[in-house]
Amino acid sequence: MPPAAVTNLGYVPPDGGWGWAVVVGAFISIGFSYAFPKSLTIYFKEIQEYFSVSYSEIAWVSSVMLASMYAGGPVSSILVNRYGSRPVVMVGGLMVSIAMVLASLGTTIIHLYLCVGVIGGFGLAFNLQPALTIIGTYFQVKRPLANGLAMTGSPVVLSTFAPLNQFLFDSFGWRGSFLVLGSIVLNCCVAGALMRPVDKRVRFKPSDGPPRCEGGAAEEAAEVDVSAQSADPAPEDGPAESKSQSYISRYIDFSLFRHNGFLIYLSGSVVMFFGFFAPVVFLAPYAKHQGTDEYSAALLLSIFALVDMFIRPITGFIGNSKWVRPRIQYFFSFAVSYNGVCHLLCPLASGYEGLVVYAVFYGLAFGMLSALLFEALMDLVGAHRFSSAVGLVTIIECGPVLLGPPISGALVDTFRDYKYMYYACGIFMLVPGIFFFIMHYYNYKKVNEELMQSALVISNNKEALQLRINQDDETMKSKYGLDTVD
Amino acid sequence: MAASPWEGEGGEVRRCSERRQKPSHAEDRGTTAMTSSWKQQLVQVLLVLVSCGHGDTKTAAPTPTPLPPVTPLKQDAKSAVLTGKNFTERVELSSPVNMTLSCTWKGDQDKPPNITGHWRKDGQEIQDSRVTVMLEDENYKLIQVFSVVSEKDLGNYSCVFGNEARIDFILEVLQMGEKRDKPVVSYIRDFVVMTCKVEENKPIPTTWNWYTSNGTDKEQINTTASKRFKIVSEERETKLKVKDLTLDDAGQYYCGAVYPIGTSVGQVELKVITFMEPLKPFITILIEVVVLVAAILLYERSRAKKDSAEGTQTNAEQNTEPQGDDKGAEGNDSVRQRK
Repeated sequence: MPPAAVTNLGYVPPDGGWGWAVVVGAFISIGFSYAFPKSLTIYFKEIQEYFSVSYSEIAWVSSVMLASMYAGGPVSSILVNRYGSRPVVMVGGLMVSIAMVLASLGTTIIHLYLCVGVIGGFGLAFNLQPALTIIGTYFQVKRPLANGLAMTGSPVVLSTFAPLNQFLFDSFGWRGSFLVLGSIVLNCCVAGALMRPVDKRVRFKPSDGPPRCEGGAAEEAAEVDVSAQSADPAPEDGPAESKSQSYISRYIDFSLFRHNGFLIYLSGSVVMFFGFFAPVVFLAPYAKHQGTDEYSAALLLSIFALVDMFIRPITGFIGNSKWVRPRIQYFFSFAVSYNGVCHLLCPLASGYEGLVVYAVFYGLAFGMLSALLFEALMDLVGAHRFSSAVGLVTIIECGPVLLGPPISGALVDTFRDYKYMYYACGIFMLVPGIFFFIMHYYNYKKVNEELMQSALVISNNKEALQLRINQDDETMKSKYGLDTVD
Repeated sequence: MAASPWEGEGGEVRRCSERRQKPSHAEDRGTTAMTSSWKQQLVQVLLVLVSCGHGDTKTAAPTPTPLPPVTPLKQDAKSAVLTGKNFTERVELSSPVNMTLSCTWKGDQDKPPNITGHWRKDGQEIQDSRVTVMLEDENYKLIQVFSVVSEKDLGNYSCVFGNEARIDFILEVLQMGEKRDKPVVSYIRDFVVMTCKVEENKPIPTTWNWYTSNGTDKEQINTTASKRFKIVSEERETKLKVKDLTLDDAGQYYCGAVYPIGTSVGQVELKVITFMEPLKPFITILIEVVVLVAAILLYERSRAKKDSAEGTQTNAEQNTEPQGDDKGAEGNDSVRQRK
């Protein structure tokens, strides 16, 4: 599959050089996007007392922020397709910053919903999408490694934010902390500055796309979008079909819904996300339920985050190796299934030591899956359609992500036992894992067949072209033969 | 004098004033310790019967016969075993109770058949509390009942064996959970809400009070006097809302949960700052971000200029070649000619 995608890009990605600076930028953006909503929970208790509201009302702030972040996906995709990653990330960073500053002056809880929840969430969406997209433009050969490194931003920023937020809260109360967080989040603009549009001066020409001089990734993406299809190389009817696409399709690629790989990924991940975040949310309460004290329960989360932090780049590295890369979808399916098995076995863990072991294995599973989550999608749809793909995926995932923890919470409350929740989450992850394995087996077969067919067609065309060139040469020579000899 | 609190299984009804003169008998009875709890109850009741003025013997000055409460006092018992020299046990109380304290001591290397034991309150020996303790089952035992009715009855009750071995029972009002050791921070002209809570499984206080510190003293906050303060109390929780804060409002605030036995005090510290405080780090980080973004973009601009300068040269070379290729060998000729 990788060879086909390269020919579709229209240029050779640098796979290094400034690309590593872009990875740093993506690290920061992705880190803020995932860690920021989670880290705000530390302020909720005081804000709850200040505004005299119930806990569920304050928890809505987090939910609204997460929902906006996922719902903003398609909007983000459209903007990235039009303007490129850099302006979108910088605008996103500014949005979150303004949102936090306004929230620090807030007088009602609705104020917080709007500022932190809606504006902040959208700003984070404008950070997440472009960061993921730009990695695809800069890397091809080393892409799994770059993705793994960039996704490490999430646990690292979360671990940094936890003590930082506590310190800010003790020093300034919630208002001052929101103000300072508003400035810290401006570092996303720095990340955006690093996301220089990739140099698309053509190194070699594809069969149909005209060469382009520089960035302007927007028109380039639309152009290449039009001229190339999915990762399965399509015959020449591609350009003709795409020109008849409607206006909106120039900005967001709905033809993805006819792409087999995309559909497999989408259907699997919708089920998977029901069980993805809930175990993290309930790890500490489960530990306390088993009788451990608060500090030991918090230590479990730290162990989990530490393991997560280290496994992500390692997974990226493994995914990059020559044995795994061509079959990376199997690696992804393995990661999903492993998560499921981990949760199913959790109720067997007894005592605090058992929980520590579970935290370590869960950290491994979670990190592996997160590192591969977007790499798998990029591998399926190719770098230039990735922007639209991830937008569509996030808005559809919005539902399971928001419903997952409350459903798990309801399970815990009805049965008064955490093990049913773990069984449910285990099933939610194991079934898609097996589904991925089976579907990708067939998909790989189909893609390989198409590759072989198109390879034949191309080689036939090449021969035909070569013949014509030779013929032309001969006619030229015969015409001007005497003059060329020197 | 109501007879009911003092009636016991023995059916002996005595008037308290009669028995106050001979407390030593009660002590003797107390030391014949019985191991099972109902037997302890019996002893306890007998003790109460026999020496109903007991609460008075703890303090130096004899007090008049106390009026018995209309509802009978609850009974409670705490016991401890001493293996070393010292042991402390904390007992939390919320309402008046007849507290039986029993101490068991394993003894030293040499175990004399009897030793002297006595009780202390807050370090002071309780009058007429000295008894001779017999060695029983390799143990020495001291049991005493104390009537804990008001705040002055709380304190440190110790049973002492011989001269050194001591068990301390610290009787105190039940403490509030969730002690907040970090100050609550708020801003000038803003308001703040301070909370005090009692845990779920603990009894509900009768009422709540708030105090502010006035020098070394605690002064109760009167919500009708100062409009800026508002107290909202529920059963287990109380909130103090202070509006329109000034820098002078900073300091310690105390919430008091009033129980029949006494008041349990919790402490909350308030810190009031201006908006300038968080503004300083805000501006610092803002400057850092602007500097970094400018640096990155300038670096890129300078590299782009260098690249374009080289680029025009290479473009010129590239432009000439394709034309040369089309014409085959002649192209080379034409290139050479151009050069």
